Amino acid sequence: MSAGGSGGPATGGIDHNKIIIFGIIGALVGIYAAYFLVNAIGSAFSFIAGLGAICSIVWGASAVRRVSNYGLGTGVPSIGMLAIGTGMVASLFGMAVGSIAGPIISFVTACIIGLVIGILANRIIGMGIPIMEQSMTEIAGAGSLTIVALSTTMSGTFMIETILPNVIGTGYIAMIFIIGALSILHPFNANLGPDEHQDRTLSTGFEKGAIAVIIAGIVATTTAGAASIPTILVGAFIWYTAFSKFYEYIKRDAHKVVGTGVLPTEEELE
Amino acid sequence: MIDIVGILSANLLYVLLITIGGTLVSFSVHFVPVGGAPAAMAQAPGIGTGTVQLAAGAGLTGLITAGTVLGLTNSIAIVLASGAVGAMLMIGSTMIIGQMVYVFGVGVPPAGGKSKYDPITKDQQDIYSSQGTEGHALPTASYISGIIGGGLGGLGGSLVYYSLVNVTNNIGMTDLAGLAGIFAVGIFFINAVIPSYNIGGTTEGFHDPKFKKWYRAVISSIIATFMCAIIGVLAIGGL
Repeated sequence: MSAGGSGGPATGGIDHNKIIIFGIIGALVGIYAAYFLVNAIGSAFSFIAGLGAICSIVWGASAVRRVSNYGLGTGVPSIGMLAIGTGMVASLFGMAVGSIAGPIISFVTACIIGLVIGILANRIIGMGIPIMEQSMTEIAGAGSLTIVALSTTMSGTFMIETILPNVIGTGYIAMIFIIGALSILHPFNANLGPDEHQDRTLSTGFEKGAIAVIIAGIVATTTAGAASIPTILVGAFIWYTAFSKFYEYIKRDAHKVVGTGVLPTEEELE
Repeated sequence: MIDIVGILSANLLYVLLITIGGTLVSFSVHFVPVGGAPAAMAQAPGIGTGTVQLAAGAGLTGLITAGTVLGLTNSIAIVLASGAVGAMLMIGSTMIIGQMVYVFGVGVPPAGGKSKYDPITKDQQDIYSSQGTEGHALPTASYISGIIGGGLGGLGGSLVYYSLVNVTNNIGMTDLAGLAGIFAVGIFFINAVIPSYNIGGTTEGFHDPKFKKWYRAVISSIIATFMCAIIGVLAIGGL
């Protein structure tokens, strides 16, 4: 039984390699820019890491779209959860041992674990999806960058001494887990089907990423190193733009969009 | 930089225990009767949702019960037992509520599709399956299989958590609980997804023909969890 996806490679739209570069560079630049600007100027710049998180989320969503189009058999959510599970293990390791190189160590570790899981899935479990190795590497890498970026948005730094009491000890890390997983898995899960289009799926990715940034901004009210108002405002602006774009694509792709009107009252039904 | 060899040799036992725990989780998923979307429409037996959601629900409950007990005692037997019982209770209540919805809501009798007779009660199954379906709801064998799966999953999850908490470190208890907890959740999810790819998203329990493929997921999980265990022990031990 296959759930979701047409059983072939995903087609159309922007070249996936460009999205990979956008995701990696965008996320790393966002994380490091936020870190250095917060240190040099002030906590107001913590929102830049949120922009980085959106880049990696869109990349993750695009990778999920490519691999899930083959039909995973278990539904799309499983691969998002795998991405963020791998990313979580790798990013906590990277931040714990890496100090200033934390985000890069997290990313590389996640890619290695992802690659191994991809090889295992094809060679031992026998899933037979040709791009499984590459996609698992990408998805795990995107998951780890998302986690590091959202942690940085919440606390203004990726140094484990600050992350530990502010994000992990308080339990916000569990929230990062689920908002990260949902924003990576949901875009394709919501748009899959014969009429799936890359631009509509990715606009959902931007929109979900913006919601994650808004939530990270709300958490930032509890931490000293990060400012919440700029993060929430930037998140809300991106959300509005992406959602308008998404709705525009819906109207383009749908046969017809009609209003159903208000529900009939009891008297009208009689 | 941290002392990689020193930390690993001091905590070798925990690396092995985490690997065993993760592998147990992977094995346990094969027992849980997951029906996916067809079961949600009462067209196939099992609980109408995905493997990952079920494993997460049961496993996380096991993790929470194990974590609560770990605050009171450091005895490994009690921690593991509470983890297993917590997960069994969670999967049991999920299945009983699901069963009530299928029987009283949808109006179908529990019937399996993979074997003609229920392997435990020996009741005939095929005559109760509606036409065009593979069976529906949770026959006795699937229910008992699910309880076994929950128990094994909870056992594995709490073993991972117990091992991570006991790695030698210099972190405060609250931060350590959060760190070990989220590591355990990450390892749990990896080991819940690998077997769900192995069974292709749906299974009826231990009597399902797909169950015979368990060794593939277990081998994969041993490799994947071993890597995660080394990373987890290094991260916590290095702080």
